[in-house]
Amino acid sequence: MARTLTILGLESSCDDTAAAVLRQTENAPADILSSIVYDQAELHVAFGGVVPELAARAHAEKLDICVREALSAANTELGDLDAIAVTAGPGLIGGVMSGVMCAKGISAATGLPLIGVNHLAGHALTPRLTDGIAFPYLMLLVSGGHCQFLIARGADEFSRVGGTIDDAPGEAFDKTARLLGLPQPGGPAIEAEAQKGDATRFPFPRPLLDRDDCNLSFSGLKTALLRLRDKVVAEKGGLTRQDRADLCAGFQSAVADVLAEKSRRALRLYMAEAPTQPVLAVAGGVAANQTIRKALQDVCDEAGAAFTAPPLALCTDNAAMIAYVGLERFRSGARDGLDLVPRPRWPLDRISPALLGSGRKGAKA
Amino acid sequence: MPSEHLVLGFDTSAAHCAAALLSGERLLTERLEPMTRGQAERLMPLLEDVLAEAGIEWADLTAIGVGVGPGNFTGIRIGVSAARGLALGLGIPAVGVTGCAARARLAPGATVGIPAPRDQLYLCDAAAPDAVPRLVDRTEAGDVLAEPSPAGLAEAIARIAAERWRDVTAPPAPLYARAADAAPSRDAPPVLLD
Repeated sequence: MARTLTILGLESSCDDTAAAVLRQTENAPADILSSIVYDQAELHVAFGGVVPELAARAHAEKLDICVREALSAANTELGDLDAIAVTAGPGLIGGVMSGVMCAKGISAATGLPLIGVNHLAGHALTPRLTDGIAFPYLMLLVSGGHCQFLIARGADEFSRVGGTIDDAPGEAFDKTARLLGLPQPGGPAIEAEAQKGDATRFPFPRPLLDRDDCNLSFSGLKTALLRLRDKVVAEKGGLTRQDRADLCAGFQSAVADVLAEKSRRALRLYMAEAPTQPVLAVAGGVAANQTIRKALQDVCDEAGAAFTAPPLALCTDNAAMIAYVGLERFRSGARDGLDLVPRPRWPLDRISPALLGSGRKGAKA
Repeated sequence: MPSEHLVLGFDTSAAHCAAALLSGERLLTERLEPMTRGQAERLMPLLEDVLAEAGIEWADLTAIGVGVGPGNFTGIRIGVSAARGLALGLGIPAVGVTGCAARARLAPGATVGIPAPRDQLYLCDAAAPDAVPRLVDRTEAGDVLAEPSPAGLAEAIARIAAERWRDVTAPPAPLYARAADAAPSRDAPPVLLD
């Protein structure tokens, strides 16, 4: 008999406190019964970026409230659940710890099984939650904290084919917005300005395109933006709105070009494996940018692969994706104990050599 | 089913996991494990050990008491988050107990100073142990109560929770008593000419 499972998910690895309830009957699509996200944007606005200690403070006092709201919105009680899934890393460790401890408390109290979930697996499996895509598919994970190409082969099996060697693009968008006096988060602000700008006026580099691999770099683009801005300021004593729009357009175009070209190369590697239904899926907040989406769509058309991007609410951090990974792992028999360890670093691909943070503490993501 | 109320108190506000289980006035079991790291892994199994030793199930508990600090930021979040998850799962109240109130219970009337980083102390107000303590230099504080055993602290937290659980109106929240280290962005926006 097909078994119906109801899973509670908790997420607190960056600046969103989230809880969700997911239900799935075996072999049928999963239903998101509720997905609650408390964002912390206002808390961090004065600091121009997420402050880990402030984020952790907010998570610790909101998680249980968020869980109550998710249960109530889903019209479920703890007794209706089959398991609790919680982000156990990678991410800002203060928030991850609060989520893990809250989930452990609920698990101990109710006897419900606990499943620690990799946050990146949440993003990487979202196309299965939203579109039921079959393995193997190529995934571009592109957000404020991450940038990597993964071939998803199973719920627990990922091969990284490339990634950033420094910053994530979302970080670069935020920094660019700060340097140009635009509001945070930088992505939407820059996209709006770029529409009014001339992308060809300023010469932005296209980092690492001279290298034949799928690795990316975005920190040089930030420096380029700063130099170009300062040059205009030195000439005129400030920026006109047109200067600013042109800088935004040039920057965005460089990011889109680099992501598109590296996606082309990643697709080539993936297509060489002859998948029966080839798909490139994109997730993460940067996937909301229409210029980038268009560039990726074109690359997929050219390669003969389908392109998919989950709806924005499921592209950015949420707990439905965590519940979904929990569900897939629960079905495969995974369970964690009350000694589950919160991990700041936890690469999805445990085999490929680290691109980031390969020091004493091991690979970052 | 025991007729006395069962209250579990625990604390992770410094380099330890400590817990105590009360049945009415009586201390059933207590546990102390010093540790500089690993509280998030160890706390819940330790609490399960405490209950098992007394032959108690989670569902038998009447209330939970948790140390809310001040102390190590990460440590107090570990304790508070666990207490809030347990309270939600069990449908029972969780009582947040400040480090000042717990120490005042152990040594009524004493001047209490809780160790803080950089040779400072959180100096408690003996007349108002639930108030936010003042952060002062150690030299400025004069003689303060010697730090109690964390096991004694957990027991005091449980005793205070046993007195207060009926009147709880808000879930436990960390008492940081010190602002987060966060500096505003240094990127100055350019002058706009039009």
